[in-house]
Amino acid sequence: MSAYIVSILTEGAIFGIMALGLNVIWGWSGDFDLAYYGYIAVGAYMTLVLTIGPPIAPAHYILGLQLPYPAAVVLAVVSSMAVGLVVGLIALRHLRGIYFSIVTLGAVYVMYVFAGQYVPLFDGYNGLSGLFDPMGDWFGLDYLSYQWFLMALCLVMFGLVLLFMWRLSGSRFGMALRTLREDERAAAAFGRDIYRLKLKGYVLGAGVGGFAGALFVAYLSAFNPSAWSPVEIIVLYSAVLVGGRGNIWGVVLGVFIMGIVVQESTRFLPEVPGHPQIVLALRGVIIGLVLVLFLRFRPQGLLPERRYVDPAPKLEPATRTA
Amino acid sequence: MNEALLTLGFALVTASILALSAVAFTLEYAVTNVANVSHGEILTIGAYAAYLVHQRTGSAIAAAIAAALAGGFAALLMHSAVIGPFIRFGATPTIVFIATLGLSFMIQNTLVIFFGAANVAYTLDPGAPQHIGPFLLTPLDLQIIASAIAITFVLYLVISRTRFGKALRAVSQNRELARVTGINATRVAAATFFLAGLIAGYAGFILAESVGSFNPYFGFSFFLITLTAAVAGGLGRAFGTMVGAVLVGIILEFAGGYVSASYNLAFAFAILAIVILVRPRGLFTNARRTVFE
Amino acid sequence: MSAPSFTPALEVRGLTKHFGGVFAVEDCSFVAPMGQVTGLIGPNGAGKSTAIDLISGFKLPDSGTVLFKGRALEGLPPHVIARFGLIRTFQAPREWPGLTVLENVVMANWDGRREGFLRGLAGLGRAQRAKAAEELAWAREILEEFGLTKLRNERAGNLSGGQKRLVEFARIRMAQPELVILDEPMGGVNPVLGERMALAIEAFIASGTSVIVVEHNLPFIERVTQHVIVMAQGTVIAEGPFESLRSNQDVIDAYLGELVHQ
Repeated sequence: MSAYIVSILTEGAIFGIMALGLNVIWGWSGDFDLAYYGYIAVGAYMTLVLTIGPPIAPAHYILGLQLPYPAAVVLAVVSSMAVGLVVGLIALRHLRGIYFSIVTLGAVYVMYVFAGQYVPLFDGYNGLSGLFDPMGDWFGLDYLSYQWFLMALCLVMFGLVLLFMWRLSGSRFGMALRTLREDERAAAAFGRDIYRLKLKGYVLGAGVGGFAGALFVAYLSAFNPSAWSPVEIIVLYSAVLVGGRGNIWGVVLGVFIMGIVVQESTRFLPEVPGHPQIVLALRGVIIGLVLVLFLRFRPQGLLPERRYVDPAPKLEPATRTA
Repeated sequence: MNEALLTLGFALVTASILALSAVAFTLEYAVTNVANVSHGEILTIGAYAAYLVHQRTGSAIAAAIAAALAGGFAALLMHSAVIGPFIRFGATPTIVFIATLGLSFMIQNTLVIFFGAANVAYTLDPGAPQHIGPFLLTPLDLQIIASAIAITFVLYLVISRTRFGKALRAVSQNRELARVTGINATRVAAATFFLAGLIAGYAGFILAESVGSFNPYFGFSFFLITLTAAVAGGLGRAFGTMVGAVLVGIILEFAGGYVSASYNLAFAFAILAIVILVRPRGLFTNARRTVFE
Repeated sequence: MSAPSFTPALEVRGLTKHFGGVFAVEDCSFVAPMGQVTGLIGPNGAGKSTAIDLISGFKLPDSGTVLFKGRALEGLPPHVIARFGLIRTFQAPREWPGLTVLENVVMANWDGRREGFLRGLAGLGRAQRAKAAEELAWAREILEEFGLTKLRNERAGNLSGGQKRLVEFARIRMAQPELVILDEPMGGVNPVLGERMALAIEAFIASGTSVIVVEHNLPFIERVTQHVIVMAQGTVIAEGPFESLRSNQDVIDAYLGELVHQ
């Protein structure tokens, strides 16, 4: 039983990091970015090719440097930020609204096709595997205790990312991003460099996504195109929406709720013998329905964005002009 | 040179299907200002409906009609149950866009529940390829191209000559203004969706015929190419979309000769990205949409 | 038009912009004096808003030049122009609706050093925190000045049109530009607020901000401006104090022309 809890918490922490990164781009900057999962994938793939050994035929992939895991994670994050920069440079220049969303959808599709089809890159549809218990041997952990270690690591990382987001949320940087979301023209009229600021937010989000991908791969020990399934993607976006875009606590709540929805919906659905995909498909319908219902009835999410509430001014002696 | 002409011939088939799908999508956009991401599912539904009917009756014509009707009703339902209410509620275009994304996901999964996720093969015999001028086409190809031209022509008549067409144009140009002149915008939109669904359902049928097999996800993949054609032609402008579809079809067919077919979609999106960046309003308009202008 | 005998705050020379064959602004030239309120009036379609867009960097001119504080502004993006000291408002009030009124005013002040991403993570240094506290206090004072204190924690999007205009004015007060261009500030505002706005504009001048006001509301123009520029059909047709324009035949023709064409 506790192994189940451990894996739930590990996945939840990783998912939480993903959602917090998406929140920067979608919640604060206000851009519905469909390329986001691509950055998670870049982080995952790059971590793999940097930690596993050189390719042995018939597998093909780049690099294979057998670097220690932490170093690989850093480089993986840099890679996803680089990809994010390229996409952002193109998409954020002139595009907003659905044009932006469509171009980012295109970007993620191109990434998906290349990862899945261009074999020399990440071994195409087979994907990569072989990252077993990273850093486990540093501490002499066996398989079972490693699960606990990974869970603790992911929870700590989640806590750190949450802390960063909390600081950014209340900072002038975070506020500046929000002014772009609220009214770009006014933001420019008051001195904000829209393009540059949005790019910063975008690359930051991509980096967080890449980081989540790096952790995700430690959990899965492998990654291939089937890990990019639409379900994962829709659940992620739903989490940010349902919980409350722009509010980091809302996002955490959303992850929690969607996690429950995903888990519990399968519990109560009937097993149909011989057709295993029906249960998954039913779950997909439910998740889609949750998304659509929230968009209709509560698009701002459960927890609205927090605003700075100025406390009542202390009464001062009458030195002010009447 | 012969090679090029042959490829052009194949491109015409792709372009025909694409043109129908894209013009249907454009109709949906024109009348609601919504980019309907579940548009591809209309094609999928059409393909399944045609398959079912063809299994029962063996008649290709019955199958085609079934595809169109299924598509029409599916689109109508999409509008009445989801898109219409969202618009009435005052949702932003992005919100409705996301909603149609969720809807698309729901429909795909529903189809998996009923039909399973595996590929379904079409058993229509395309006939032997014949030389028509410089092209090498099967009778099926010819039917596809001919029907696409016919449907386009009929659509043109409907839009330009009928009262409904006039109302459609009014609503697509200015919804509020159309309302003020007594047009029931919602009903016009619903009817337009039905019409678009008829076309898209049929497109799904000929696409499945042309490719040979399909599954619950095949409409969505084709949708991405459809989107490219529609945006290239200028969202909401039917004629531009047609030309966009032909261009995209040709480019894809020629590019497909150099790169493996699985890169098709990636290529389509590369085109899309370039078009949007260079001319966000499509290839046939003069306006350049920057962030401020 | 006689040569100006005052220091110019803004000098526009030969500004031209056309859209698909139609000249929205054609060889438009004028000078707005420093320390004064300059009105920019003219019938609909005269090109006033386009001229403002061109001056503030929201549109690119085909030709012409804009001189401000000794620097040519044409071609520069809006945020650079704003940082340089020229801020504009828009025809519809453009507050940041999801932010509170107080947040709106505080964020009107661009501070590159405090808005960096790394700063956001690391937090502000002691000097910067002091500055931020000062800024917040100053923002509160400004809100007090405009009678917005009770609304300071309200979501700016929930305010009425007139209140939003006041928030915009508060933002300008905060940003303290050397020149502010107001694009139809009385648009959609209850005329009762007119005097309050006039006082706010006078306060701008008193604090060192020169003002250009685009308005259709001529009594308002008469109330606040010392110098008026009249545009019609994309170019300047007259200049001078409001009184002198009443009897200017060109001006009358331009306005009458609008009436005839309607």
